[in-house]
Amino acid sequence: MPQGDYIELHRKRHGYRLDHFERKRKKEAREVHERAAYAQKALGIKGKIFAKKRYAEKALMKKTLAMHDESTTRRKVDDNVQDGAIPAYLLDRDTTTRAKVLSNTIKQKRKEKAGKWEVPLPKVRPVAEDEMFKVLRSGKRKTKQWKRMVTKATFVGPGFTRKPPKYERFIRPSGLRFTKAHVTHPELKCTFNLEIIGVKKNPNGPMYTSLGVMTKGTVIEVNVSELGLVTPAGKVVWGKYAQVTNNPENDGCINAVLLV
Amino acid sequence: MVQYNFKKITVVPSGKEFVDIILSRTQRQTPTVVHKGYAISRLRQFYMRKVRFTQQNFHEKLSTIIEEFPRLDDIHPFYGDLLHVLYNKDHYKLALGQINTARNIIGKIAKDYVRLLKYGDSLYRCKCLKVAALGRMCTVIKRIGPSLAYLEQIRQHMARLPSIDPNTRTILICGYPNVGKSSFINKITRADVDVQPYAFTTKSLFVGHTDYKYLRYQVIDTPGILDRPFEDRNIIEMCSITALAHLRSAVLFFLDISGSCGYSIAQQAALFHSIKSLFMNKPLIIVCNKIDLQPLDGLPEEDVKLVMEMKAEAIKAVVAQGGEPNDEGVLLTMSTLTDDGVISVKNAACERLLNQRVEMKMKSKKINDCLNRFHVAIPKPRDNKERPTCIPQAILEARAKESKEMENRKLERDLENENGGAGVYSASLRKHYILASDEWKEDIMPEILDGHNVYDFVDPDILQRLEELEREEGLRLEAESYEAEFEIDGKELTPEEREALAEIRKKKSLLIQEHRIKKSTAESRPTIPRKFDKDRKFTTERMGRQLSSLGLDPSSAIYRARSRSISRNGRKRDRSFARDGDDAEAMDIDDEHKSKKLRLRSTSRSRSRPPGEVIPGEGLKDSAQKLKAIKIKKKSEKVRNKAARRGEADRVIPNLKPKHLFSGKRSIGKTQRR
Repeated sequence: MPQGDYIELHRKRHGYRLDHFERKRKKEAREVHERAAYAQKALGIKGKIFAKKRYAEKALMKKTLAMHDESTTRRKVDDNVQDGAIPAYLLDRDTTTRAKVLSNTIKQKRKEKAGKWEVPLPKVRPVAEDEMFKVLRSGKRKTKQWKRMVTKATFVGPGFTRKPPKYERFIRPSGLRFTKAHVTHPELKCTFNLEIIGVKKNPNGPMYTSLGVMTKGTVIEVNVSELGLVTPAGKVVWGKYAQVTNNPENDGCINAVLLV
Repeated sequence: MVQYNFKKITVVPSGKEFVDIILSRTQRQTPTVVHKGYAISRLRQFYMRKVRFTQQNFHEKLSTIIEEFPRLDDIHPFYGDLLHVLYNKDHYKLALGQINTARNIIGKIAKDYVRLLKYGDSLYRCKCLKVAALGRMCTVIKRIGPSLAYLEQIRQHMARLPSIDPNTRTILICGYPNVGKSSFINKITRADVDVQPYAFTTKSLFVGHTDYKYLRYQVIDTPGILDRPFEDRNIIEMCSITALAHLRSAVLFFLDISGSCGYSIAQQAALFHSIKSLFMNKPLIIVCNKIDLQPLDGLPEEDVKLVMEMKAEAIKAVVAQGGEPNDEGVLLTMSTLTDDGVISVKNAACERLLNQRVEMKMKSKKINDCLNRFHVAIPKPRDNKERPTCIPQAILEARAKESKEMENRKLERDLENENGGAGVYSASLRKHYILASDEWKEDIMPEILDGHNVYDFVDPDILQRLEELEREEGLRLEAESYEAEFEIDGKELTPEEREALAEIRKKKSLLIQEHRIKKSTAESRPTIPRKFDKDRKFTTERMGRQLSSLGLDPSSAIYRARSRSISRNGRKRDRSFARDGDDAEAMDIDDEHKSKKLRLRSTSRSRSRPPGEVIPGEGLKDSAQKLKAIKIKKKSEKVRNKAARRGEADRVIPNLKPKHLFSGKRSIGKTQRR
């Protein structure tokens, strides 16, 4: 039975076939034509996938060729500027003083009280009630229609117990309850899977906020103890607000952006 | 006995390929058409099926990978250790563990999204959920891409490992690099191991098989070991150490006493002493190789002392195992170049291994199960008389003569050697031919004569056949001559007769041609009797024409034909003619009867009965009964369909839309055949 590197051994002992190199060269030359024939013949989804892949390859090829071309034109050389770099004439200036920091915190507290924030998604599409709720018929003859089932993602707290089924008006199905969100830090550009503490505000209305419905644009509070953020005073920050940036009922997960 | 063959592991696809395969399989094997207007449960089911199908496929493929790769703890410790040495057990286990986790994660994703799909209330929402589910599963596979690549490399290497059976009779060869281990295994087995002058030519274990006393032995060639502390050893040396440690085998320690391997005997002795712990409980033979370059006696004293020390160690080991301190089988010399002593080394090793194994088997408990099952019966001698074999004197003499002849016989080989050797002398293969005459032995046989192969015409019974043929020929000639005597006895033909003959022949040929055409088209044409001819070929006009062309008067023939035909509405006939015709037939009838008959036969009389009416009579009491009788008759007699009309059994229901041409997914392209 062939053992060890038997292919190399055979090559070492007997060398290559007499026409090996010619055949190899011709096969490689033929590949171009075969690839073109496949590209022309492939239909349907396979054709599309191949076309996309091929387009990406060609774009890359063009770029490398252009790079290697010697060009006589002179181009301005732009060094990448680091974030936060300031020109020399702006150095040695204290941008923020402590007082300013304090006043910023006070301003934020005031804004919170007022209920206004700067958020990444200022405007969201309004969600109609019939899109949000599904009418459930109940009663012996199924004529009563006062029950509603929520069709969007919801959050219920950890100590949540349902009202007795006879009296509950809004049904939040357990399949649509989420406890975790994928929160992106806008500056660090990385995403963490953080627990939701609560729903702060749903732009569609206070009723939805109280129900805990999370749609696009909802501001939620997440548990950021993982990130290890610390206030200037030395206290550990463990809750921060984040705004939902996707439609959770369509994607099956909640993507949010941290509000810093 | 498990066969350690790692060649059967399926190929592990790379991350991207894996995703491509599974997604295209989902696209091909699940239904693809869905519309907004379908019932919501149907939409949900459509998408749930896709998610579940994808998950199942991933699960299947990942499971095959996990199951086919061997578990290092479940296989023989030799292989477990070997794979650890080669691939690092931790990395291997980690990679497989990652695959397992990926499989579980994909299962969870599918479960979650199927649960979410139950709440999908529109096509768009269900579709988004399905896209998200498949996307997440593919991301998981992308993340384990490096593990898949690693496993694929391992698989390729594992497939080329030698399949060593750890439990059977094995001979292990070890020693410094370049001492002649691979040459030895090439000599005694059919393994074709590379032999080169540089060290570490052999980089892994090689196995060959050899036979001794009708039993098969595995011979394992190892890469050379250098004398180093254990921790410093590299992977290649560790392979041989693993083999030494785990395989219960006979060990041949090779010693190069000529020093042409580049290492002195002192170094080799040092190696021996450092690994002698691995030789415990194994029959050990120290083999001195390359004695053609340096015989054992010609060694300097210190080297001889070292060699004797090693031998002493080996003898000690033999004594420890329970054998006698016999130093014959412990130190052997050989040369693989001149084949001197190779076979004796092999025999010694096999013999010692066999004895050891037999002893072990006898000592083990299992032997008692077998031992009481066989019993060698030796007949007890009844008296002290000796009864040797009895061979008749004649046979003894014949045997002696034969043996003498065999000794004195001149072989073909001797003849060849006398007359110039292998290339020069060509043996005459014909000198033992048995022919009728000895002179024909050296005759040249022609092969081709007149363009024919002579051997096609060679036949052992050829003379017999010739006689038979001649006899037949004679008979045939006689028959022919008899026939030739018969000749046409007749006058010459007149010109009219000749014309008529020509006409007849022409007519005949025409008929034959027509018949042939009819015969060839007979399959597609129903055969109907002449009276049902649709084309109306057989009419009286035709007959008249043909007869007049022959020169005959057709009128009487036409009249006769018409008078015989039965026509429903009747036909006006020429009375005078009829009378004449009738006269000819009815010669004895009086005039009254004649006129009555005429009247009866005349069809110009009006019918006074309605067509459906049935008159009673003929033994039946009334019309009803007669009707019934007629009906029964009609039912019982099946009227034959001689006119070849289409009947109820000839109905054809064509299949205008065969299922096999209209089913299956083909979004673009024709379906004219499948």
